[in-house]
Amino acid sequence: MKSGKLYKRMNLTIFTLVMVFLYIPIIILIIFSFNDSKIVAGWQGFTVKYYLQLFENQQIKQAFQNTMLIAILSTLFSTILGVLAALGLENKRFTGRKVMNALIYVPLIMPDILMGVSLALMFNFLRVGTGMATVLIAHITFCVSYTTIVVQSRLQGFDYSLVEAAMDLGAKPWLIFWKVKFPLMIPGIIAGALLAFTLSIDDFIITFFTSGRGFDTLPIYVEGAIRRGTITTINALSTLMIGFTLFLVAITKRVRNLLLR
Amino acid sequence: MIHSHHKHKASILELKQSQKRNLQSWLLSAPSLIWLTIFFSIPYLIVIIYSLLLPDIYEVKFQFTLSAYREILSGTYFKPFFLAFRLALMTTLLCLLLGYPVAYLIARSSEKWKNFLLVLIIIPFWTNFIIRIFSWRIFLSSGGVMNEALIALNLVSNPVEIIRTDWAVIIVMVYVYLPYMILPLYSAIEKLDFTLLNAAMDLGANERKAFFKVTLPLSREGIFAGSILVFIPALGAYIIPQLMGNQNALYIGQVITYKIKNIPRNWPVASALSLVMLVIIAVILLTAYSLYQKRQIRKTDEIR
Repeated sequence: MKSGKLYKRMNLTIFTLVMVFLYIPIIILIIFSFNDSKIVAGWQGFTVKYYLQLFENQQIKQAFQNTMLIAILSTLFSTILGVLAALGLENKRFTGRKVMNALIYVPLIMPDILMGVSLALMFNFLRVGTGMATVLIAHITFCVSYTTIVVQSRLQGFDYSLVEAAMDLGAKPWLIFWKVKFPLMIPGIIAGALLAFTLSIDDFIITFFTSGRGFDTLPIYVEGAIRRGTITTINALSTLMIGFTLFLVAITKRVRNLLLR
Repeated sequence: MIHSHHKHKASILELKQSQKRNLQSWLLSAPSLIWLTIFFSIPYLIVIIYSLLLPDIYEVKFQFTLSAYREILSGTYFKPFFLAFRLALMTTLLCLLLGYPVAYLIARSSEKWKNFLLVLIIIPFWTNFIIRIFSWRIFLSSGGVMNEALIALNLVSNPVEIIRTDWAVIIVMVYVYLPYMILPLYSAIEKLDFTLLNAAMDLGANERKAFFKVTLPLSREGIFAGSILVFIPALGAYIIPQLMGNQNALYIGQVITYKIKNIPRNWPVASALSLVMLVIIAVILLTAYSLYQKRQIRKTDEIR
């Protein structure tokens, strides 16, 4: 086989560079979270004091709780909405298909800032005070598209022979759904929920527009701290957050493997 | 006669069945449909209303006027739009140039490596957005790691000021949006029939020719999808220019945010600017969609 050697070498070089590009900032951030220095430059010795300071900081604690609460609730609601919509869209001759597809796909590419501005203005128009409820509404809104699409893509690769077998055996539609189809959908639902959860934890812009004063999530707190220049604890906080997401990904992989077995 | 009667009855049954299924689909879709209509579509109507009102230092005065549009037409906001457009274009091109070889390499590796490499690409994407931006600030700052390394290696004598320049913004934009380019490219290249490439080379095409005549055209859909996924969100960039860029030349995302958040506020102008952005995006998407449709039609014609 004559596959180009030159191209292979070039691809490998670019691939390595991209990997370095992707990982260097994160690795430096982690290393410097243990640096005993008020400014980021230069290695002054190993310390964990910034991690200890982190646990004493009430604002961070509150922001962490807010982030988790919003993430859990928006994951729950957006997953339910997404599963229902995906089941509805399974029907190829559904007359509302076009409208639904537009409503699901357009938010995906809309710049965050437009969603943030439009929601903020609507809450103002309706005289709804911004806070936890408005943030939750916003998070559910941008998560629904993702959960729907993930569940939908799993439904497309669905093995219907089991459902048909159950039908041939005369099982009732509801029984078929809960006993046969739903269990098969679970990996897709978990994948969608995990995506919604991380997107919710990750969001800055839309939260920034819909939270108002007094309801900080972690990204909002971190951005404020960067602006104020209190950088050292942020290194430690960031490292913990990176660890947390990796842990989450590993856990879900485990769970999915267990379920798929 | 009886036979056709039965057929008729069967088709009525079928029709009823499909009507029932349709109703079921409506019911299942209804919660998302209602939710997205209220919290995604209707807010844009409010934006339209607010763009036609009189600004106030804090909120708006409910008095109809076209002053926001007049202010926009005066050309004050041309530069922020231009900067955002240039940034989105640069980001898309760089993501494509860096992402294509990566996607290609992953798509052509063995099954075992494929998953591992994909996870490697996605891990940074799982880490927090703000933290990723922040880590670049640490890396690029004048007393930061990169400058210390450059000075230690005697490559420069004074720290290079990258932070607070357009370059810093572009670097971080590419960093954040690269996975959005790599994943669609990967799935397009993975579907590609590599025997075609080998055939082209067997017929005497060199690597470059085979790439430009076979691989690239066949992965066009991935390039298309990736570019849209990067370009459009990049147009509205706010926090990356805010944390990395030069604050003397604002991007449109920053201008809109300032007019919403900073006192004196100007919500009508912010609304009108958002609508201009929305129209630009709609034009891009509709053009892309019609090009895609045309291609699909041409494809089916070719098959015939």
